[in-house]
Amino acid sequence: MLLAAVSLAASRYGWPRPGPWVVPLLAYIIGTALVWSPLDSASVEDALRPEVVVGLFSRDHWARVLVGLGLAISSMAWFARWPFTDQPVVRVVVDIGTLILAAVLLLGPWLLRLARQVRVERAERIREFERAEIAAHLHDSVLQTLTLIRKNADDPAAVATLARAQERDLRGYLYQDRRTAEESVAVALASAISAVEDSHAVVIEVVSVGDAPTDKRLRAAVAAAKEAASNAAKHGESPISVYAELSSDRYEIFVRDSGPGFNPKRIPADRLGIRESIIGRVERHGGTAAVTSKKGEATEVHISVPRRTDNGKAGR
Amino acid sequence: MSEKVRVVIVDDHDVIRVGVKQSLGDGVEVVGEGRDVETAIEAIATAKPDVVILDVHLPGGIGGGALDVLDACLKKSDPPRFLALSVSDAAEDVVAVVRAGARGYVTKSISGPELTDAVVRVAQDDAVFSPRLAGFVLDAFGASAGDIAVADEDLDKLTAREQEVMRLIARGYSYREVGEKLFISIKTVETHVSAVLRKLQLSSRHELAHWAAQRRIV
Repeated sequence: MLLAAVSLAASRYGWPRPGPWVVPLLAYIIGTALVWSPLDSASVEDALRPEVVVGLFSRDHWARVLVGLGLAISSMAWFARWPFTDQPVVRVVVDIGTLILAAVLLLGPWLLRLARQVRVERAERIREFERAEIAAHLHDSVLQTLTLIRKNADDPAAVATLARAQERDLRGYLYQDRRTAEESVAVALASAISAVEDSHAVVIEVVSVGDAPTDKRLRAAVAAAKEAASNAAKHGESPISVYAELSSDRYEIFVRDSGPGFNPKRIPADRLGIRESIIGRVERHGGTAAVTSKKGEATEVHISVPRRTDNGKAGR
Repeated sequence: MSEKVRVVIVDDHDVIRVGVKQSLGDGVEVVGEGRDVETAIEAIATAKPDVVILDVHLPGGIGGGALDVLDACLKKSDPPRFLALSVSDAAEDVVAVVRAGARGYVTKSISGPELTDAVVRVAQDDAVFSPRLAGFVLDAFGASAGDIAVADEDLDKLTAREQEVMRLIARGYSYREVGEKLFISIKTVETHVSAVLRKLQLSSRHELAHWAAQRRIV
């Protein structure tokens, strides 16, 4: 009817008579609209809930898509046979180009939607995987520790050590500090000090300012700090604190306990802890280490090593 | 200090509230408790305490935990002073609560006498810095990169003296020991720490802004 009205109006007002392509073109447009129509409501749903893909196909939708595909494909078939020019080369090129364009236009939204579906499903799988990984981690660490704690319920020292180790582990896991001791001197220091905490069942607060990859000198400083912290844990009183500051020209570590102190000049010559493991080790790397202590007061070990970052010679 | 410091304890774990209550010394009196954002705001409004010991992670409110409580209470006239208490020592938690108005920050591993001392200090309007918070401050204000303020008004840098004080606190010195080491009075140490707290709250250094943004406050 509409078609008839349009052609009547055309002949009446003297428009040029439309070519034979009008009907197939209309058929293609209607077909495409029908193929796209199920996506319309889906795109609203998708926008509301971006993390799920809603199902599309009711029987009505199937029918619309099939009729639409039929219309569009038959109009394309008609176009392929339409001899609109005498030159075969032009005809082949135009035919192929137009048909590809028409097919893309027809199926494009569906392909986009398919891609989205794949993406959503992939994200879901990743989430699922992460959940499983967290569950596995909690099982291996927290649940095991709780079991151990229950077994050792009558031994407060063991319980404290277990709880402390587990706390550190969980904290590291939660805050995702996945840098290694090689990449970060702060991590190297923290893990060295936690080894001391575990072997002596004490709590040591570690504060680090600044960070860099651990080179040979920094490693020596960390090893000396570990020795100092273990001395503090053995002979000193809590609270014990370790403070490290990395500036552009040197790395300094302070290890401090709260007493009872001693006279550093009166260490027997055969005690190698301070002399060799702390002072000697640091001095071999061009640094200095000093012990400040007095009987009855806090003891502090100050370790300082120079850095050479300007000429790139800092040995790894 | 003849009068007792009146305290409200806010924590979502009953065990922690009981533990904190028991570990507080004689100079402190607990006048109220809260277990989430709403009960905390109500307890603070009715008890009108001097100091609120506030857990950083709290249920309720609009999801900001302690930040919601600070937000609601600091708007009212004559607000109490806040001491934040947390198991977490992640930088963004610490910096966010301090920037939201807490006068200090301590971790739950703190001993009873230390906590009592911190409460009394906060009640006197002093700031309480744990070694870790001092470390964050040095890190955030670029102390190791050699950033030094030339004028006191420079909010984005610490003065040389403030850096020294922060370094000693990070090394585990008490305020008294810091004073002895630097040959200044304990009152002067407190002044420096309060100045640092003010800078921490008002500075717009991007490191601080970044940490605060992670907890959705600026």
